[in-house]
Amino acid sequence: MNRFECLPLLAEMLEENTLKVTSLSSNARIWSGVWDKGPVFASMNMGLCTGFALGMSLAFPTRKVVALDSDGSLMEDTGVLITLADANPTNLVVLCFDNESYARMGPTATSRKANLARMAEGAGIKSVRLVRTIPEYETAVKEALMTPGPWFILAKVDAETQRVPDKRRGAAMKFDFMDAVERHPDYGAWKRA
Amino acid sequence: MNKESTQLVVDGLREAGVELVVTLPEEPTSSVIRATREDPYFTTVTVTAEGHGIALCAGAALGGRDCVFFTGVAGLLVGTWALAQVGMVYGAPFTIIASYRGDFADKTGIPGSQLLMFRQVLEPQLNMLRIPYEIVKDPDTLKKSILGAKVCSREYGTPIALLLTGEFLA
Repeated sequence: MNRFECLPLLAEMLEENTLKVTSLSSNARIWSGVWDKGPVFASMNMGLCTGFALGMSLAFPTRKVVALDSDGSLMEDTGVLITLADANPTNLVVLCFDNESYARMGPTATSRKANLARMAEGAGIKSVRLVRTIPEYETAVKEALMTPGPWFILAKVDAETQRVPDKRRGAAMKFDFMDAVERHPDYGAWKRA
Repeated sequence: MNKESTQLVVDGLREAGVELVVTLPEEPTSSVIRATREDPYFTTVTVTAEGHGIALCAGAALGGRDCVFFTGVAGLLVGTWALAQVGMVYGAPFTIIASYRGDFADKTGIPGSQLLMFRQVLEPQLNMLRIPYEIVKDPDTLKKSILGAKVCSREYGTPIALLLTGEFLA
């Protein structure tokens, strides 16, 4: 299983107004090639993706928020899993792609002993899945999008060998994101929740 | 922080319409956190590390929900990476309220060498991160500062820090 298969499948399952946050590198680059609609905050740097998505979930409590995090980024601050479980945002789905490597720079600890799914369970997140195949991935993502969370899905994927262009980054990305957020039908919904 | 100052902070946040409170508790501002937890007007999130707490504030703020991050000097130092990202790179508009440890009025039991370090690093750090800040010593000006920080963070497109000292730490 690899992200070039997984992310287009995810795109097919999302509504246009689902809020998305991606970590940097492969998640941001590949996602930018498969999805260009609705609010996407792309390339949140190491250790910040899931925390940022948690904040977004509190601003849009009636809409699913999907964080596309990765093993290297999440391991920068695994404490966010504890905060996530404690805050318990039912609309947040963390989809962590674990390719067991820092891009093309060498293996992460998840290639050896570390198990981020068990860490998520230990943090207190009730809905946790570890998926290794496309059918498992598809089933878990569908369930996460249709039922209350918070959800943590650890998707074991092959390490990428090719570098793809990032079509959505920097100031232009933020401008597009803010434009989509401010036009979002649920903007300000936290006041009514 | 004494009872009167605690109530001033709580009232200032309420009057400014800032109801999402994010914190990793530290002693000087802990009474504010307790008060906001007990007040149904506020939503409080206790984080386990400053970095993702700051990222959380950025996500909420860019999503349109005003929020405040409570911390101290040590927390701001730990959160430097996150502040550089969400502040300097993405201009996330939220308020930081930090106790200014190491000020002359700080009567806590922290060793003097630590207090001196806090005093030496805080303002240079905020200047390095290009985060506007205001030192609040007088409780009478606090509410105005909280409202100003909220409004200006949105207008400027940056986090803004209020550093509580003087009577707040006494």
